[in-house]
Amino acid sequence: MADAVRTAGRKYRIAVAWGQDHNTIGSLHRAVNEGFVEAVLIGSVSEIGKVCRESGYDPSLFTVIGSDDEKSAAATAVRMTAEGDADIVMKGLVGTGNFLKEVMDKEKGLLAPGSVMSYVCAVEIPAYKKLLFVTDTAVIPFPDLKQKVAMAEYALTMARRFGIAMPKVALIGASEKVSDHFPNTLDYSEMCRMAEDGRISPCIMDGPLDLFLACDPESVKIKGVPTPVDGDADILLFPSLEACNPFYKSLMLFGKGELAGMICGTTKPVVLMSRSESELSKYYCVALSCLMASENN
Amino acid sequence: MVLKHLSELKDILVDKPTRRLVLAAAQDQTSLTSVISAARDGYIEPILVGDKEAIQNIASENNLDISGVRMIHEPDTEVAVEIAVKMVRSNQADILMKGKVGTSTLLKAVLNKEWGLRTGSLLSHIAIFEVEAYHKLIAVTDVAMNIAPNLQDKIAIVNNSVACLNRLGVELPKVAVLGAVEMVSENMQATLDAALLSKMNQRDQIKHCIIDGPLAFDNAISLDSANHKGIRSDVAGDTDLLLMPDIEVGNVLYKSLVFFAHAKVAAVILGAIVPIVLTSRSDSDQAKYDSILLAAAVTKNE
Repeated sequence: MADAVRTAGRKYRIAVAWGQDHNTIGSLHRAVNEGFVEAVLIGSVSEIGKVCRESGYDPSLFTVIGSDDEKSAAATAVRMTAEGDADIVMKGLVGTGNFLKEVMDKEKGLLAPGSVMSYVCAVEIPAYKKLLFVTDTAVIPFPDLKQKVAMAEYALTMARRFGIAMPKVALIGASEKVSDHFPNTLDYSEMCRMAEDGRISPCIMDGPLDLFLACDPESVKIKGVPTPVDGDADILLFPSLEACNPFYKSLMLFGKGELAGMICGTTKPVVLMSRSESELSKYYCVALSCLMASENN
Repeated sequence: MVLKHLSELKDILVDKPTRRLVLAAAQDQTSLTSVISAARDGYIEPILVGDKEAIQNIASENNLDISGVRMIHEPDTEVAVEIAVKMVRSNQADILMKGKVGTSTLLKAVLNKEWGLRTGSLLSHIAIFEVEAYHKLIAVTDVAMNIAPNLQDKIAIVNNSVACLNRLGVELPKVAVLGAVEMVSENMQATLDAALLSKMNQRDQIKHCIIDGPLAFDNAISLDSANHKGIRSDVAGDTDLLLMPDIEVGNVLYKSLVFFAHAKVAAVILGAIVPIVLTSRSDSDQAKYDSILLAAAVTKNE
């Protein structure tokens, strides 16, 4: 992914809200050096200078806009992006609540009226043969049908940017059986029909499927459940944030996974991740948002 | 005591009497194979209830030595299950295991009011994982029995699980109540239940364990993650038991650990008079074998 962005030869301007911590500046330093990013750091000038000195970075690589507090830094970063002065907005050390408030602001924010905001991650796991796109790891607690469809579309858009022409989408449940004990499985049936009718963009969709049927061809054989996804899923759509969040965290902590994720449904890409994420993860997120920004143009 | 590997179940069993395991509808290749190998290694004494001819055929096709094994011939599956359950009830067996019979048929018999194995507690499933990247075994409940447990159910599930871990020598298990976030939010019932369970534990309404929650998965497992977020918790980073909000979450996590983290697992059903072993075809041979050992290890001492 990072290679694709690097070789595309375009530069993306990223506005960073309260971008004054080591991991954020480190990730951007790498992206700037590799030539695909111009970073505008909005935050305390002295703090940014200090981080650059400590890490041995040349501060002239970045454009710095002084700001006294995280709220106004978030507002400035989002407004710049909404007005076209930046291609991408990124959360630095600002709290998620303050940051999202600006993103979702009706007049100056980045959310078109009526659009669904969701989160898609691309995950690389040694135990799986390809990248997995996973949604929603962070935003919608209990998606309804409309939100699930939006989640699927965002993940499909991302998968296509990675060159997957006909992504396989597994709608994840506890088993492959449709049951009114599990209301999500009823939504899933409807979604499969929508995918067949072309009301969802082209993909191979099936669900409910458990994780084994979605990702393990061997289990498909043993269980004898015929499914077009066939243990070869590109996209996993989860029934709830409660299910998706521990899933992706288990991949990170126990499955030696690496991830890149971003907010979808906004008018411009939004890079948002936990303040505690590593520099490498943030770098991947930046590269991902550049890849997605290229489609917007 | 801290257990790191499932193979340590064998050490626990060394000092215990050999448990009698009754396999209901024993004409089932996968469960019969694991039962006979656990018996061969001396951890259980098997009793096979089922279609004798079919059992013998499976044994000879798979080179299983069943000479000297006690067998009760009963070709009808439902009757075989009833016989097996009644043997447990009359103290002729210490562990019940499912053979070639549907889970619902077996559980119906277990829950039979006249001759079943009810204790008054809820039945719940516990899965114990050995994960390379974690410093000890970690138990997860409930990933298979209870679909959407309410607060009372969760209390019963914790009590079942804590008693089980106590018998494995984990004296004061640390219980993390899992949420998508570590903040209590009225939009997510699981986080409210988690807060209640934690407080009930502080007030000694739930005993023999330390409960904290809601904790997101990373905080439950990694002290670094918890510290980053400034979470003060006696459980964070050192969890023995993870309580799931519902079966959808549990099922995904179970399968993620097995498939993506190459975890080893053993699992039993708790809350009946004796532990019940329910394995499925997609379980590995190791999982079936270790589940039998787990059942034997958590059987109450007479």
